[in-house]
Amino acid sequence: MNDNMERVREVFTQKSTRVDTNKGEEFYNSLFEKSKARLQSLREQEPLKDIDMMDIIDSEGINRRDFMKWVSATTATLMLPPMFAPLVAEATELMNRVPVVWIELQDCAGNSEALLRSSAPTVDDLLFDVLSLEFHETLQACAGHDADKQLEEAVHLYKGKYLLFVEGAIPMANNGQYGTIGASGETFYEHLMRMSKDAAAVVAVGTCATFGGVPAASPNPTGAVGVMDLVKGKAIVNIPACPANPANMVGVILHYVLTGQVPELDSLLRPKFAFGYRIHDNCERRAHFDAGEFVEEWGDEGAKNNWCLYKVGCKGPMTFNNCSIVRYNDGVNWPVGVGRGCIGCSEPDFWDKYAYERPMATARIKAPTGGVEKTVDQFGLGLLTATAVGIGVHAIASVVAGKKADENKEI
Amino acid sequence: MAKNIEIKRMTGTMRIVHWVTFFSMIAAVITGLYIGHPYYQTFIADPAVDKYVMAWNRWAHFIVAIIFDVTAVLVGYLYFFSRFEKPYKKLIPNKQNIVEFFEVFLNLITLNRRKKFDSSHSDSFNIVFFTIFHLLLVFMLFSGLQLYVHGLASGHSSIGTWWPTMLHLVTDWTLYVFGGNIGVRIAHHYTMYFILVWVMIHIYYQVWRTIFWKEGDIAIVFGGSKFVKEEEK
Repeated sequence: MNDNMERVREVFTQKSTRVDTNKGEEFYNSLFEKSKARLQSLREQEPLKDIDMMDIIDSEGINRRDFMKWVSATTATLMLPPMFAPLVAEATELMNRVPVVWIELQDCAGNSEALLRSSAPTVDDLLFDVLSLEFHETLQACAGHDADKQLEEAVHLYKGKYLLFVEGAIPMANNGQYGTIGASGETFYEHLMRMSKDAAAVVAVGTCATFGGVPAASPNPTGAVGVMDLVKGKAIVNIPACPANPANMVGVILHYVLTGQVPELDSLLRPKFAFGYRIHDNCERRAHFDAGEFVEEWGDEGAKNNWCLYKVGCKGPMTFNNCSIVRYNDGVNWPVGVGRGCIGCSEPDFWDKYAYERPMATARIKAPTGGVEKTVDQFGLGLLTATAVGIGVHAIASVVAGKKADENKEI
Repeated sequence: MAKNIEIKRMTGTMRIVHWVTFFSMIAAVITGLYIGHPYYQTFIADPAVDKYVMAWNRWAHFIVAIIFDVTAVLVGYLYFFSRFEKPYKKLIPNKQNIVEFFEVFLNLITLNRRKKFDSSHSDSFNIVFFTIFHLLLVFMLFSGLQLYVHGLASGHSSIGTWWPTMLHLVTDWTLYVFGGNIGVRIAHHYTMYFILVWVMIHIYYQVWRTIFWKEGDIAIVFGGSKFVKEEEK
């Protein structure tokens, strides 16, 4: 009951989810000055890693022009005007001043995988060589007690300054014993709470860390929940999707390096620059949706003509993400582009409510009342039939009863 | 011999509202089913033809929804301030209304064996039935507008930003009640079936009344009047 009241309060106090892509000259001028000062102060700090970004770019055979192309694209992704491009470039160089600790909980490491396949100029380099990634179990060389030690040192050294990236859900059932970490057997929950305590901000990466994701799917045996359900009193940024798009991860870090703040968030704590629009709004198949041209089954004539995938279960109209613009794997393609529907992987409860390759109208999803596993249409038709039968019975009874009444009258 | 006399039951405005609702509903159901599950393909194969089938279906759905909403507001007004009959008066749960409600109900289930109420005016059973329908419509209004504004994430619309802002303010609660967009969608769809059930019962009852009461009730919605026998008056 208290939870419900809390929710109602949230509804009436939450900020609009409006995406303001042009906040006016005054705003950007002030942000520009602020960012310049921020970058200046970062430059004065000792780099955590003494590596020059431009050297790396040269050594990777990426020319200045390609780098600036990436800078423009990233500036646009962050919904900043072009005048910020030089600052974004500078922020990239100064990424080695911001420590990042990445912890991994109950998940498949898909977000780390996605990050490794990040786009030009090989952001792996940015991250491994420039960005001060102080701890990342899956990627680092050390293991066991050495790894524990490295983590402790990083957290101690950069107290209050590091960005904590969390990948994976947190199992809460059975006192959290479904997931423990290290020799001490610390549960994922304890681990998360300890790590987030001194973080400057917490970035939940992927749908598991944000909304519980696949581990939290019904019946959720491990009692998995997302970071924002547990961590309170901290700046939290959610970057859902399965996996989260590396462009959005890099975007959040860059925004933090640039401004010292987390980007503007929506009511689900997702950065608006990435989750401000439905993928349906910018889908290359949108014209076919409006035209009523739908793929009826895989491999049919419509599929060959790249028609809309709504009827084969695409959840694009309900899903907020920028995949239709940024795409995946170096911007090569994305689910709808390769001819299969969106499964709404960046939405809460996505596995139970979105991730089925059937249209909404034929999906067997649980009714809001719970338990009833019939589809709405089956239930509806049943209800209409029952009503028709009821009416029929009443009508026949009325006719029969009417005749009898007439007979009685005649007598 | 009993003489039938004509009595007025619906004003011109009420009849217009009734038929606007009727046609809006037909259009909303047909287009709504298409939007939920496009059941026919574009008829013209040529891509270079103006054939925006889904767009037209959505257009029609939204237009009739707005007409629906406006008539709902009108009905809401007439509910309290009509100079003809104020329906809310029959909803007050006083003894007279409760007795009348059950008498009409008993008349229906005893197959017209027990007609102990005044059928010359709108009775409380009728008004309760009428009210349930409009509550269903109001629910369709809120859930439908939420489904609509969900897509206006930019917060802009052709008539300004106030419109999506207002829609968010009055419809966002449905997201919490039904657990997100999919839940709202299911609730919106379910309610269509409840409305259809309502319509079936409504048509049956009006026809049944006409046949068994022999007072020409079906004429109310066309000419505005029905007949009652003089001695009952």
